[in-house]
Amino acid sequence: MTLRFDHNDVDELAAALALGAVDADEARAAREHLETCAEPHAELRSLLGADAVLAAWLEPVEPSAGLRDRLMRSISDAPQAPRPVTPAPADGEEPRRGWLDWLSPRVARPLAVAGVAAAVALGAWGVSLSGQLDERDRALQQVAEAVAEGGIAYRVEGGGGRGYVVDTEGAGSTFVVADVGALDANQLYELWLIGADGVPVDVGTFRPGADAVAVIPVEQDLAGFTTFAVTIESQRVDAPTLPIVMAGELAS
Amino acid sequence: MTDSAQPIDDQLLAERLRSGDREALGALYDRYASVAMAVAVRVVSDRELAEDLVHDAYVAVWQKIDRFDPSRGSLRSWLLTIVRNRAIDRLRGTRPSIEVGEADEQSLLRTGPNPTWEATVERRSAAELQDALAQLPAEQREAVELAYFGGRTYREIAVITGVPQGTANGRLRLALAKLRDSLSLTDAAPLSMQPGHATERADQ
Repeated sequence: MTLRFDHNDVDELAAALALGAVDADEARAAREHLETCAEPHAELRSLLGADAVLAAWLEPVEPSAGLRDRLMRSISDAPQAPRPVTPAPADGEEPRRGWLDWLSPRVARPLAVAGVAAAVALGAWGVSLSGQLDERDRALQQVAEAVAEGGIAYRVEGGGGRGYVVDTEGAGSTFVVADVGALDANQLYELWLIGADGVPVDVGTFRPGADAVAVIPVEQDLAGFTTFAVTIESQRVDAPTLPIVMAGELAS
Repeated sequence: MTDSAQPIDDQLLAERLRSGDREALGALYDRYASVAMAVAVRVVSDRELAEDLVHDAYVAVWQKIDRFDPSRGSLRSWLLTIVRNRAIDRLRGTRPSIEVGEADEQSLLRTGPNPTWEATVERRSAAELQDALAQLPAEQREAVELAYFGGRTYREIAVITGVPQGTANGRLRLALAKLRDSLSLTDAAPLSMQPGHATERADQ
């Protein structure tokens, strides 16, 4: 059963929340409440940041003489993470929105279901479980079984097609999509995972078959990512080209 | 620890880090490494491990400086949050938290921190802050220590200290409220200059 917090619950745990002294469910419930609550939560606000003082509780401890040199050597080889993608508009072009801004009107809440999603997946592509299964259909069957056994399916949709990312704990995930738009000969679809920081991570590429269906294994662990997105590229690239043609929110 | 003769503002340091200035990280190290070490040693009780954690935290700051949001706290707080969270993770395994975004990069809620706390740290000496903390009743201080340095939830604190969960939560609340109130009362002057300060302490 999902824990829900109201205003009083958050206020009651204000100090524990400010110190991170709550369990994961309580943290999530508080975060969800605060995202939609118009109340000021003055008590919580007043306590956030107290850790700045608590660190000063301690007497300073000098590190060893070599730690600074070690650190400087380490960063000489450590590249900084790329900045979140915010493509500059071309001259005369309407400014493009950021990655996550593209999602709001299109994102459906995750379809966390068992048998229902399995039926949808199978029905959409007309897989005959008793017939001779080709490789793709076997993959679809595995997806359906994974969902039926408790995996989670996240809706992914947009102008480029519609489908699901099916996440099976400990067994990777799969992107299954239908009605995939046709591409020019020099184009491909590229898949991205995006975290809360807005930085897209390349997952892979694919071209749809003649029946506009694709089943793509996703090796990247979905943990820590909030969004699944698809763009059209002329080749596999490190940074995506907008617009996003399919997207879905990875959240429970 | 050598602080620069002309203190460098954290915000300027953050901008320099964003531009790829490695010397800025050295300046950040000079400024806060001893505090970061204190936090790490306090949590893991192992100086060698603490140095590894501090090293890794600074590398994380270098690599992920673009994720630092000054509207949600100072560079100091961000660094110390990373150090503390990594130390607690090392001590206990994955720790439930209220973090936003990446696990160890930001621990503050989206409501943003109360800037008074950080302003207080800037204005007060360590001794003055320690005085304020020392005024807390022992059971409240213990609860805060278990939460902040031990990464314990209020439910775990209740078990450890043998009190109901509501009492453990209440101790955290009373402790932070007392700190907040005592420090805000002394905003205009150091604790030692506040009228009645000595009496207040004697009454605890």
